Amino acid sequence: MRAWLYLIAAAVAGGIVTTPALLVLILLKGTFTDALVASLATLMLASGIAVVTMRDIIRCGLAMIVCFLALAGLYVTLGAAMVAAAQVIVYIGAISVLILFAIMLTSDKIGSSRLVFQTQAAPAAIAAIVVAVLVALAAAGTNWGAAGEAVRTATGDLAKLLFGNYVLAFEAVSVLLLAAVIGGVFLAKREKDVP
Amino acid sequence: MGIAEQLNTYLTLAGALFAIGTFGFLARRNAISMLMSIELMLNGVNLAIVAFGAFVPNLQGDGAVIALLIMAVAAAEATVGLAIVIAIFRNRKTPLVDEYDAMRR
Repeated sequence: MRAWLYLIAAAVAGGIVTTPALLVLILLKGTFTDALVASLATLMLASGIAVVTMRDIIRCGLAMIVCFLALAGLYVTLGAAMVAAAQVIVYIGAISVLILFAIMLTSDKIGSSRLVFQTQAAPAAIAAIVVAVLVALAAAGTNWGAAGEAVRTATGDLAKLLFGNYVLAFEAVSVLLLAAVIGGVFLAKREKDVP
Repeated sequence: MGIAEQLNTYLTLAGALFAIGTFGFLARRNAISMLMSIELMLNGVNLAIVAFGAFVPNLQGDGAVIALLIMAVAAAEATVGLAIVIAIFRNRKTPLVDEYDAMRR
């Protein structure tokens, strides 16, 4: 019985992801890249909504991994392969695992599954929709001076920029990471002397 | 012009992801859910920056570098945030933020 439910859920998810791609291919006569972008965008938004609405917080964390993966695919279609690789390594490999560990360390059996939203959930939803509409309007109404197609960023040029123009920011970030590691260990360390 | 060759597509997507993160941050009760929502918001901003770097000729290459730096800062933020949540959980035995009311009473 349960296996059938999972199969049906997988089929529905696959349909949700492939339908926009087919729509773009057939109705808008788009290219393969257009279909890929539509599919990845749908996957990203659907899993993002799943992150903030699902009751089981472990599943929220797993949906967040799917969201980050779709985002890495979007970075590839934007021609930023290095950023996509860093997205997979840093977000999926490190931050998601850290968050899943923290979920398992802090989950309580009774309280967390009962009520997931605050009382201000409805105003929050309205505010979020307003933010999304405003950003879309601002993006559509501004002339960014954009080129007609995405320009691929070569990794060698990226390295020259990172260790040339941006080397001060690079060093500052490394100091910040060291401080964050020390701070994290200090904050999460168990104090022995407390009675 | 297809949707993959327009800056507006990616900016709208980034705004939508940021809005989803905003909703999660304002509406969820669990502190770790709120941290996950912050990660979603950071990723939305990152998508916008990478899109600008790919489409605007003046920002060619800069967008990707800034996105990489933001990822490092996000990793630092996640480390410290989760450590704070775990430290609070050890004292209060709950991950729900509306029960952290010691300074209101």
